[in-house]
Amino acid sequence: MNASILRQLRKIVGKDSVLDRPEDLALYEYDAGVEKSRPGAVVFPENTEQVSKTLRLASENKIPVVPRGAGTGLSGGAIAAQEAIVVSSSRLNRILEIDIPNQRAVVQPGVVNLELSNATARYGYYYAPDPSSQKACTIGGNVAENSGGPHTLALGVTVNHVTGLEVVLPDGRIVEFGGKVQDSCGLDLAGFFVGSEGTLGLTTRITVKLTRIPESVATLLAIYNSVQDAANTVVAITQSGITPAALEMLDGWLLRAVEAAVHAGYPLDAAAVLLIELEGMKEAVQEQADMVSAVCMKQNAREVRRARDEQQRQALWLGRKTAFGAIGRVATSYYTQDAVIPRTKVPETLAEIDHISKKYGLTVANVFHAGDGNLHPLILFDGRDARQTEDSRKVGKEIMSYCLSVGGSITGEHGVGSEKKNLMPCMFTEDDLDVMVRLRNVFNPDSLLNPQKVIPETRICREITGPLPKAKVEPLPGVPV
Amino acid sequence: MTTATGSAVEHELALISGKDNIAEETRDISGVLPVIAVSPRSAEEVAAIVNVANQRNLVIAPAGGFTRQQIGGAPERVDILLRTDRLNRVRHYDSGDLTIGVDAGLSFGEMQRCLAEHRQWIPFDPCNGSASSVGGLLATAPSGPLKSGHGGLRDFCIGVEFVTGDGIVAKGGGRVVKNVAGYDLMKLLIGSYGSLAVITGANFKVFPEFRQTRTFVCAFASLTESLMFRTQVLNSPLSTSIACMEIVSPKAPEYLREMPVAHDPDDYAPSEPLGAVPGEWEIALRFSGSEAVLARCSRELGAAVSRELAGAEETKFWHWISQFEESVLQRHRNALVIYANVAINDAGSAIEALERSAPDYNFLPAVVGRAATGNLIMGLVPLPVEPPNVMQYANCVSAFRGLLPPGSSAMVARCPKEAKGHFDLWGGTPTDVKLMRQIKQALDPKNVLNRGRFIV
Repeated sequence: MNASILRQLRKIVGKDSVLDRPEDLALYEYDAGVEKSRPGAVVFPENTEQVSKTLRLASENKIPVVPRGAGTGLSGGAIAAQEAIVVSSSRLNRILEIDIPNQRAVVQPGVVNLELSNATARYGYYYAPDPSSQKACTIGGNVAENSGGPHTLALGVTVNHVTGLEVVLPDGRIVEFGGKVQDSCGLDLAGFFVGSEGTLGLTTRITVKLTRIPESVATLLAIYNSVQDAANTVVAITQSGITPAALEMLDGWLLRAVEAAVHAGYPLDAAAVLLIELEGMKEAVQEQADMVSAVCMKQNAREVRRARDEQQRQALWLGRKTAFGAIGRVATSYYTQDAVIPRTKVPETLAEIDHISKKYGLTVANVFHAGDGNLHPLILFDGRDARQTEDSRKVGKEIMSYCLSVGGSITGEHGVGSEKKNLMPCMFTEDDLDVMVRLRNVFNPDSLLNPQKVIPETRICREITGPLPKAKVEPLPGVPV
Repeated sequence: MTTATGSAVEHELALISGKDNIAEETRDISGVLPVIAVSPRSAEEVAAIVNVANQRNLVIAPAGGFTRQQIGGAPERVDILLRTDRLNRVRHYDSGDLTIGVDAGLSFGEMQRCLAEHRQWIPFDPCNGSASSVGGLLATAPSGPLKSGHGGLRDFCIGVEFVTGDGIVAKGGGRVVKNVAGYDLMKLLIGSYGSLAVITGANFKVFPEFRQTRTFVCAFASLTESLMFRTQVLNSPLSTSIACMEIVSPKAPEYLREMPVAHDPDDYAPSEPLGAVPGEWEIALRFSGSEAVLARCSRELGAAVSRELAGAEETKFWHWISQFEESVLQRHRNALVIYANVAINDAGSAIEALERSAPDYNFLPAVVGRAATGNLIMGLVPLPVEPPNVMQYANCVSAFRGLLPPGSSAMVARCPKEAKGHFDLWGGTPTDVKLMRQIKQALDPKNVLNRGRFIV
């Protein structure tokens, strides 16, 4: 990076807050996805004003800027453009206000998701969206990606929990969207901004809703001898009129991998399990747990276990939340997708995934948010084998084609980023994308902020090409599922 | 529009939607009569009509059930009233997936009837909800009592199809309940009052109907006591079973029942003498859940409960809460209705602000509102001291806004059309207005949609 720019950056954020040596930059060239690219510099602003000045400097010199939280994203959202300035939120990490009477918290973007819940638990409140990486990922990153998590089935994803934002636009202008009030007058720009993947602006202050911690929680583990029975149960629970707080599915292959890694107490001979959680008043939870157990048994569950205490509950969830890490023990490489399908299509889609996996002779493990149809098929392969690497791409492509053919979406919670942007024309027409470009240009006219993300260069869905997985992808600890 | 242009436009619209689907419109929008009304049958026809407007510099007002057309500024003019009444199909309904997709002109009531066949619904109960079109509700984003427990349209709408102000048919979102592909255009269009695009279709996630509910009305001598009770309930385990939590001011119950006698809507003539009893502040709580859940709610609320409602009586009670603003307007043509959206803990200060400012300008205040979220509906009824004048409205709104806690917003949803133009109907907003204008410019560059009616 140009020495004069580096000097000016150091003037803005301080000498110790700019990295530009290759060995330092190497740590910022990847996220939890598959791509890599080395930035020109990384800066660590401590306040809104420094962010604003950094963006203005970059804009005046036509240098791309890429925002970065914890780097746990799975779609390449934090991967730098060539010679870009990466703006890290790691020093914007303070909880500014906990306002219990208004059920709000105001945080800087670098606050770690779980940190907020930890800070508010003593008041009986928590921050509901819980991506599997919640011990590491930042709320700023969650806002950019509109992150979900297992418990967003009943309570909604990030956008349902954000009421206000302070945003720095690419030209350095500082703007406000909303605040503590849920429905401010005028356009809902806070809602529009969430999930824009760092292409519209950089958040510097976020106002979120806090949710009352439920009085009672029941965690059930339903065990099946057949994947289809488990999938049919998902449909049956959805139709029963009960909305569980979480409804997750793990298939047998994955169960064994997880059990070997964390000893969660999962049955080793099962074909699939459902992890179901119910929350609320204790009367409601007791009754719903009985009803859900009955639905599971009716759909041929072999057994339904209920966590007896918090320790057992945590053990069951540990297995779910560390599933991706467990894969690292058994496969050299894997690639995961994030497609969403209508919930009634879960049984046939799993059958189709099984069919595709057998056709290519590659294992596809399934661990996913069954309750809202958000699949995460993990395609396992040996990255040292060119044939397998090629086949894994074909498997990914065929699975995604199928999901789209039943009315699905390319991404439920991981974001489009750079990884899936070429799939966008499979869901959106040229006109749809044109509207999105026009809106991006209002905020980010030169596309200097997180360039080459979300919006594809080509507008035609020629074919679905799964991204090329790199050999030996090691998930970081606590990587999201 | 000159007569010559008028007939040329009529001819062009007839080519697009057919002669039979062009009509004269007799209903005005804040005193402005549309020149011509057209009812297209598809998004493509809507786009063609919008293109005509762009070419000829005409102004379009989209219209659905005509339940909220009087909200907002008087339009500069309305050359074409674009009615969505023929966009009225259910596109797909997958009861197993709990999702539905409809044309924007379908009435919300019709959509709920369709869902009810499978014992499903959208938990959303705004004023005049049944007669409103789905598109109109999205455009105006009103709230009903169920907001406290179940959220609003921004939480239910998962996909939207629309025609931009320059005639492009586009969409955002999709048909699945969880989806982060592309920008969230649903959030942008919900509450945009038809200023950016004409909404032509939408997809929603739907929910199983309540199995059973019960309502507990608790009365208090003061606003402060009622809100303390509200806070207690919100911080108790009962909070997770709340469907509605409404505050009702002492003057509001007058409007929560059938009009006792038909009388001149210009006169304030309450059925009961004013000031006879110092009214009570009520918190109305509706819980949903099993018999065991409801029994516990009843037990824990205990002596605070003055009335318990179930069945038809309960349904009627909540219908009247939803219809509060309509009821005020039906009885008093010159009433003012304000939607005040405030932080949860500011509800008390906002209501006090109203109670203090309204009498100074000869208005009588009545309030119902979502006590768990801070969405308040305020009715101001002019007292028959003298004929109301426009400055009375302007000054009252200004005094009220001046007393509101910071961060609040207060839009004037309804007031006599003569008063519009004398003050800012929308009021301040924390959100950047410059960006709002730029977005308007990006999607409706020639300002053909609802010119002069919204903030942008």
